[in-house]
Amino acid sequence: MTALIEAHDLTRSFEVSRGMFKGKRTLHAVNGISLDIRQGEVLAIVGESGCGKSTLARMLLGLLPPSAGAITLEGQDIRSLGRKGMARRVQPVFQDPYSSLNPRRTIASIVALPLEVHGIGTAAERRKMTIEMLDKVGLPQRFADRYPRELSGGQRQRVAIARALVMKPEVVVCDEPTSALDVSVQSQILNLLMDLRRELNLTYVFISHNLAVVEHIATRVAVMYLGRVVELAETEALFKAPRHPYTKALLASVLTPEPGLGIPDTGLGIAFPDPLNPPSGCPFHPRCPERLPQCGSVVPQILRDENGAVACHLHGQAPAPH
Amino acid sequence: MANSSDIVLEIDGLSVDIRTAGGTLHAVRDISFSVKRGETLCLVGESGCGKSMTSLAIMDLLPKAATKSARRLAFAGEDLSRAGKSRINALRGNRMSMIFQEPMTALNPAYTIGNQLVEAYCLHKKASEAEARERAVFLLGKVGIANAAERLGQYPHQLSGGLRQRVMIAMALMCGPELLIADEPTTALDVTIQAQILRLLADLQQELGIAMVLITHDLGIVARIADRVAVMYAGQIVEEGPTTSLFNAPRHPYTQGLIECIPVPGRTEPGGRLGVIPGVVPSLVGEVRGCSFRDRCTKAQQACLDAPPVRETADGHRWRCILENAA
Repeated sequence: MTALIEAHDLTRSFEVSRGMFKGKRTLHAVNGISLDIRQGEVLAIVGESGCGKSTLARMLLGLLPPSAGAITLEGQDIRSLGRKGMARRVQPVFQDPYSSLNPRRTIASIVALPLEVHGIGTAAERRKMTIEMLDKVGLPQRFADRYPRELSGGQRQRVAIARALVMKPEVVVCDEPTSALDVSVQSQILNLLMDLRRELNLTYVFISHNLAVVEHIATRVAVMYLGRVVELAETEALFKAPRHPYTKALLASVLTPEPGLGIPDTGLGIAFPDPLNPPSGCPFHPRCPERLPQCGSVVPQILRDENGAVACHLHGQAPAPH
Repeated sequence: MANSSDIVLEIDGLSVDIRTAGGTLHAVRDISFSVKRGETLCLVGESGCGKSMTSLAIMDLLPKAATKSARRLAFAGEDLSRAGKSRINALRGNRMSMIFQEPMTALNPAYTIGNQLVEAYCLHKKASEAEARERAVFLLGKVGIANAAERLGQYPHQLSGGLRQRVMIAMALMCGPELLIADEPTTALDVTIQAQILRLLADLQQELGIAMVLITHDLGIVARIADRVAVMYAGQIVEEGPTTSLFNAPRHPYTQGLIECIPVPGRTEPGGRLGVIPGVVPSLVGEVRGCSFRDRCTKAQQACLDAPPVRETADGHRWRCILENAA
């Protein structure tokens, strides 16, 4: 598979005010991430809140410029593509279908807006494309002239998907697309996303904290912790044989609906560290059940091999860069 | 068998109606269940099924527009369905307490957690502030908060989400309740923290012999923590039974559909199609007749237009359906 999007040493920091008389501090939301998104894959990005997964998503969409590093789309720097050029090829679906749709526009005009902005077709052609797209996401034509408030959460998320796909993008970045939905609606949306992927040959970046959903839908998984990717692997390999202790803890905390198994002990301490004041060395070391003496002082290098990538002292050092 | 004095909460025929501009919304419709000492009952269902309204009705915390009625709503043998405000006030936060979903909004930002922890204890137990603080420190330690004495002086905003939820749990346990109602206690938290909080809740509940009603939409949580499960749909309990029996042999088409909807490693094929429940929840405004699930049910028949019978097996597994076994 060829890389469609490549992120090179991506970093994004924010200046955070700490109160009236204190100075500002720098928060490294994304801290040196390099990864590629391959044609046709579903790359899941998982991690706890505050790990930087949404910041990474916004950068991949071109909505937020990186502080350092670069993103290329088929070898071309996305800065040279411009906002519109980027929007033609990479589109988002956000978490909350209640706040991501303009309440004062009809469904048809919400879905047609990207076409309008890009000056595609006449009004009649746009209407036709919109109706076709709504049909593809399972919304009959009678929904076209309704308003978001008349729709259920699942129907709204279908509208958000139709809006993302109407430009025929290659990549769709889904940021927690089902976490605001009930389980019976979630399964409908996941089925729809999988159908559309096959039909339209789409590539997904799928951000989620729900590991059962990730295991179901993703082909590759990147695990983030405090702004870094700590493990990256094919889905099956990651769930079968996780290498990073953090990945192990994450997988252990998944509550599958199997009665009698009880509630697992993750072995993690309670506290997710303060991202403003990250631990020295490996950022995971204070919570790590398998830490080594050097973990508190030396940042582990990322080891890339045929199985993916892992940043942990338990898994050796990468050869020094030449 | 447990004897009847072990029953902490007994609800018979509870209904909650809400006045809306469009008419009366029947949020909870004639539900009955009971919870014993040391037992965990999970109320599970999707948005709008009435599970939160049920918990608020038990605690007498319903919004003004809502009214409740019940044949019997008994706590520790005492019928509270017609009890006055002062009686409820004496019990609530004392012998029965509640953990809310969102610790950020359930804690008062203007008071230290110490103040909030000791308030109910001083009030209900007529204890001195020093005694109350001692108990607060003890309980904060119990819920896994390090340097508890120091934490008492902190404000909610100084704590992380996981810590705030632990404070909520400690607060609910201050007066040694016999009944604990936890409404989506971990929904706002990350999975790693969720597992820790649930483990803690389950351990404390066992240790202290509390009767717990846990409300959630997450079947994973239900399977792991519940002794018994009640599945709610459109304001009714459509199925209730021991956890293993309910998951291994769900009887109601809605329960079966719900379980099919979630991806389970090993059971669902990766990337394959998940089960769906077609259609949407019916409106509960005005008169609701017959089986409320019939419009979404693949096995619906003419007979579903009438109220379905309640069926029961020997192990106390009950469901409302015209079918003996819909599977």
